[in-house]
Amino acid sequence: MSLSSRMVIVLTAVGIISGGLLSTVGILTRARIEANRLREIEEAIITVVPGAKTNTKIYEEKDFTVYTTRNDQGQIQGFAIYTAGTGFQDKIVLMFGTDAEINKIFRLTILDQKETPGLGAKITDKEAFLKYWENKDCSHPLMLKKPPVAQEELGASEVNAITGATISSEAVLATVNASLAKLRSLIQAGTIQIEENNGQ
Amino acid sequence: MASKPLSQEFTKGLWGENPIFRQLLGMCPTLAVTNAVINGIAMSLATSFVLIFSSLVVASIKKLIPSQVRIASYIVVIASFVTMADRFLAAFFPPISKNLGPYIPLIVVNCIILGRQEAFSSKNSVGRSLIDAFGMSLGFTLALLVLSSIREILGAGTWLGHQVLGSWFEPWIIMILPPGAFLTLGILLGIIILIDQKLQRSK
Amino acid sequence: MELLAIFISAILINNFVLHYFLGICPFLGVSKKIDSAVSMGLAVTFVMTITAIVSWIINHWILIPFNLEYLQIVSFILIIASLVQLVEMFIRKSSPPLYQALGIYLPLITTNCAIMGLALLAALKNYNFVETVIFGVGSGVGFTLAIVLMAGIREQLDLADVPEPLKGAGIALIVAGIMALGFFGFSGMIK
Repeated sequence: MSLSSRMVIVLTAVGIISGGLLSTVGILTRARIEANRLREIEEAIITVVPGAKTNTKIYEEKDFTVYTTRNDQGQIQGFAIYTAGTGFQDKIVLMFGTDAEINKIFRLTILDQKETPGLGAKITDKEAFLKYWENKDCSHPLMLKKPPVAQEELGASEVNAITGATISSEAVLATVNASLAKLRSLIQAGTIQIEENNGQ
Repeated sequence: MASKPLSQEFTKGLWGENPIFRQLLGMCPTLAVTNAVINGIAMSLATSFVLIFSSLVVASIKKLIPSQVRIASYIVVIASFVTMADRFLAAFFPPISKNLGPYIPLIVVNCIILGRQEAFSSKNSVGRSLIDAFGMSLGFTLALLVLSSIREILGAGTWLGHQVLGSWFEPWIIMILPPGAFLTLGILLGIIILIDQKLQRSK
Repeated sequence: MELLAIFISAILINNFVLHYFLGICPFLGVSKKIDSAVSMGLAVTFVMTITAIVSWIINHWILIPFNLEYLQIVSFILIIASLVQLVEMFIRKSSPPLYQALGIYLPLITTNCAIMGLALLAALKNYNFVETVIFGVGSGVGFTLAIVLMAGIREQLDLADVPEPLKGAGIALIVAGIMALGFFGFSGMIK
């Protein structure tokens, strides 16, 4: 057998064996990987809209996905918004929930961030940051309180900044405010419609 | 190749030819994932899996492969095992897969793996290659463990997530940031050379 | 604006060498002289840009439409290996002076994790075509910046009194650490 034909045969054989093996592995793991991804979103939605039973994706673009959620009676509770913005180091990916009128933020959760450990990374910490976002009035743009004050002293649409991590705090705030504005304009333009079928 | 005793084939990976401290191979994952011990362990396991199985396959099929296409064949073999490791982690350990991000797929360009195939498995028997791969894997694991322990303890006051230093300790955040990786490894290399010089002199 | 942010961030904030630790081997190996560092940087930037384009096309036109994402690692590494070969042959034929300058660095690039890292990161960050290309160029420039600065420091370091055990890789890593510290100051400049 000539050398070149042996080369071709060997490379083809290696390619076919590895391709076959990998497609088996790929098919075996695909469902599970997909399920992991969906579960992460599902869990985040339940975190940001307490009592959400089911959810429907109603709008999607890059770094901005809107879900409507319903409670166990099938009534619409509001929106869960998945979005991302530029933080101190890299993207901050987060999700927050609002009521159907977009007047109130239920909760906020951070899904992915690469902020400075010990400083900016505190945006994932409930005590240091996330608790200030619970049940905030968002009929006006939210504002950052700096330096932070006691929770009782915060205004209805004010949240505390993290000491030493103003940029990360501001990044989250700006991302949320921008998403709220975008959601409102999408509803106004009729791109997003909520069909009310509760009470049937 | 002059055949060393099998035990030496194994232990050389730990100290004398340690892939990281001596050969300075595979620096990217070493520096990138050692910010926490758990990441270091996950990375070591994945790399060891790929190294051991690639060595096994390469040593078994070395006679069939014409030398002109050997690198291409090795790369395909390595890439296949890396893909398996990557998919496995993504399916069963999603948080670890997320933490390590692109560094698991990047095992494919880890010079240790291709280096061992080219320098060892393609010239030695299956048994010997496996022993070599185990030794190198253990050496790699050891290095990652030392580095990530130092960084996590000093940078967060914890080891594998458990508090080891008291509340009096103000974590040196710099240690878990990129600069800390370079500084720790640089100083560690110096210390190792120092120890080695002492050992040589006492011989 | 978004594109400028990607570009600047790839050079300064998320620098390939000092933040992602990609391409450490050439960063330590080819940073003893400024001239060779510049050549290496150019070669990497060149290959990175082409890799960004080709890997995006493969990923979005073949792998994703046919549900073959699990072949990403194999196909990216094969693309990079063959691209480097092609680029080498092409430069040798078309531009001997360029080949003289980059020649010996090109084969080294195949095993450079920065190139593979670029293809993987661009896929992971879900960039569109233009963003991927900008990311590729920016990352290459960032790599060049880091390696040239490093070479500048190391040329001076030859004259310094470095403790014996730290000579070579040890002091190079410590210098890289201090550089990374400096680059850390760029964090947060993009809002």
